[in-house]
Amino acid sequence: MTTAAPERRGAGSAHQTASRPPPWRDVRYLTWTFQAAVVAGLIAFVLWIGDNLDANGLELDYGYLDRQAGFPIADSDFRLTQPVSDALLEGLANTGRLVVAGVLLATVLGTLIGIARLSQNFLLRTAAQWYVEVIRNVPLFGIFLIMYSGVALTVLPHPREPLDWSGVLYASTRGVAIPWYEASNVRFAVLVLIVIAVFVGAFTVFTRITDRTGTPYPTLTIAFLGGVAALVLGWIILGLGITAPERQGLRASGGITMTLAYFASLASLVLYTSSHVAEIVRGSIQAVSKGQGEAASALALSGVQRMRFVVLPQAMRIALPSIGNQYLNLAKNSSLAAVVTLPELTKITQLAIANQSGPAVPALFLLLGIYLCISLTLSLIVNVLNRRLRIVER
Amino acid sequence: MKRSVIRVIAPVVLLAIVGAACGDDDDTETTRGSRLTEVQGADSKLDQVIAADVVKCGVRDDLPGFSVADEAGEHIGFDADFCRVIAAAVLGDATKVEFVDVATEARFTALQSGEIDVLVRNTTWTASRDGTEGAAFVHPTFYDGQGMMVAADAGFASIEDMDGAIVCVAGGTTSEGNVQSEFERRGLAVEVTSFEDVDLLQEAFIAGSCDGWSSDVSQLTGLRSNYPDGPDALVIFDDVFSKEPLTPAVIDGDSRWYDAVNWAILATVQAEEYEVTSENAADSAAGDNPAVVAFLGGANADGTVVDPGLGLAPDFALQVVTQVGNYGEIYEEHIAPLGLERGVNALWSADEPGLQYAPPYR
Repeated sequence: MTTAAPERRGAGSAHQTASRPPPWRDVRYLTWTFQAAVVAGLIAFVLWIGDNLDANGLELDYGYLDRQAGFPIADSDFRLTQPVSDALLEGLANTGRLVVAGVLLATVLGTLIGIARLSQNFLLRTAAQWYVEVIRNVPLFGIFLIMYSGVALTVLPHPREPLDWSGVLYASTRGVAIPWYEASNVRFAVLVLIVIAVFVGAFTVFTRITDRTGTPYPTLTIAFLGGVAALVLGWIILGLGITAPERQGLRASGGITMTLAYFASLASLVLYTSSHVAEIVRGSIQAVSKGQGEAASALALSGVQRMRFVVLPQAMRIALPSIGNQYLNLAKNSSLAAVVTLPELTKITQLAIANQSGPAVPALFLLLGIYLCISLTLSLIVNVLNRRLRIVER
Repeated sequence: MKRSVIRVIAPVVLLAIVGAACGDDDDTETTRGSRLTEVQGADSKLDQVIAADVVKCGVRDDLPGFSVADEAGEHIGFDADFCRVIAAAVLGDATKVEFVDVATEARFTALQSGEIDVLVRNTTWTASRDGTEGAAFVHPTFYDGQGMMVAADAGFASIEDMDGAIVCVAGGTTSEGNVQSEFERRGLAVEVTSFEDVDLLQEAFIAGSCDGWSSDVSQLTGLRSNYPDGPDALVIFDDVFSKEPLTPAVIDGDSRWYDAVNWAILATVQAEEYEVTSENAADSAAGDNPAVVAFLGGANADGTVVDPGLGLAPDFALQVVTQVGNYGEIYEEHIAPLGLERGVNALWSADEPGLQYAPPYR
């Protein structure tokens, strides 16, 4: 009874097949099997790697993390005698700076270009299309090299004849310097938090008022002006100074200097990722029912209002998961910055391997593990956002 | 009834999968076992190389003078010739070399995993590498040192003038740390930018991103001679601020293979000291200086030959010198054209003595 002969089943149980498919088409059974297969495959793979390492006399020994690094890191206070683990943290900080700035800029630029792709204006629409099609279809590695040697090294002047708008901007092939705050980082962080709080607060309050009364306010403008006012007042009250870039020898002193490596890496990542984001934004806008936009027009909303209040909020819901994928790509692609000398995670790992202090195989495993953690963290943030944006169904 | 079908099939499938996984495991277990016997048993790398009839030599393909690959894929240079020296000594034929281009960060892994038999890839012998990379270094083929190159019109006369400078280094080596230590030792500030690629470094240097360009003097000399604005646009300081003994390496713990490789290289130095060249080697082997005859594996007056028991043929030195050359000949062919004098790489017995010294062959 327990063993089912196929002929008997085929002939005698037509009504049963209708209610429950055979095992090779039964979803519950298939998912279970596939998961078991994947887990078994993964275990086998890990064992296989372990055996390979053993057979070749390579050990996964992470003792090197506590050993002296022996290499310097550009643009940092890192000392040669600090351990490799400190160097990796320094690299993680550089990767973090690149990823955070890259994600913000790529989102803004990508959204603008995505909207431009649907513009009524022929020139704008075509330019945006060319941007997307060209940037999206070339290798990112090439973009990095072009940004570094073709753009930064070529456009910026030789340090002996720098571009010097005294006190405002100082640019040469050794970096671009702008004025910056002069105070402890803590005070600056407090100021940033205050400004963000004022901006978000003003935005929320006026949105609520509009929602309740129906009276339109220029919410964004008010929030922006509030932010600027908070910035100026806070700057004076907290007593933050300003340092301006001054020429000293062949470099700028004072202000904050953006290195060519950081510029080239950020520009490449933003260009590349924004071209993908633009396509997602365009697709998501087009996926919002056309009637929504028409209804907004019927209510006499302006073009900008229609986008901001009706179309984009709905498009964002559709776009977010895909854009989140692009954030993950950006985080992983940031490893290419090593090519243009930015001392980020990958570069630090390479240096650690080359400087006898880090054996290759464990160091590369660790590198992969760190990128995995970065990706999972980003993914978690996107998932939380996604859950908050989801339509609440009753 | 369907449910019961699943109950029967599922464990079978699961078992099959686990079985497959374990089967994999067993396979690798056997391979590992056999490889372990290879290393532990009487089978030295020396026997393996003789059995395979080829020396797998880890080199690079992009360093003029030391090892570059030409259009035909043939490796030419100082390091490449020492690969041939080893093949001539061990196999009696300098052409039995398989050149393997290895990346800087993969070179020691390649050695440990047996992908290459010997690493001759202008690698500096350091204590940490000796201790942690599973490599054993033989006789240094080239005593190098790290130096500093600047633009001739930059107004620097020595490292002392370079306080606060940006120094660019082609990375993946110990060079970054050396620059930083040297500037710290002199109480100077420095910022070290580490490039992966020499070509990109050169572009940045020309555009003015770097004050100084630091690398081993042998490499700087080669780069200077190929500089787009001509060699006179660049100056290499006389200060050398690190010891870089470029040394071939073999896997740790295989003393027979280590001895064979070491003496193959030492034979080139000894040959130069005996003034045995690729031209006169055959005559010298039958000559009247008993020490030279013994060294070249010729029969002495009583018809016997000297075999020091290195696992090499008695006439290995003769093969090395006739097929490749002595140390001086190899140097003249590949390093001298770069514009580098013998300097510390001269023989200890030369008029201006250097460091190249072979233990007595007896």
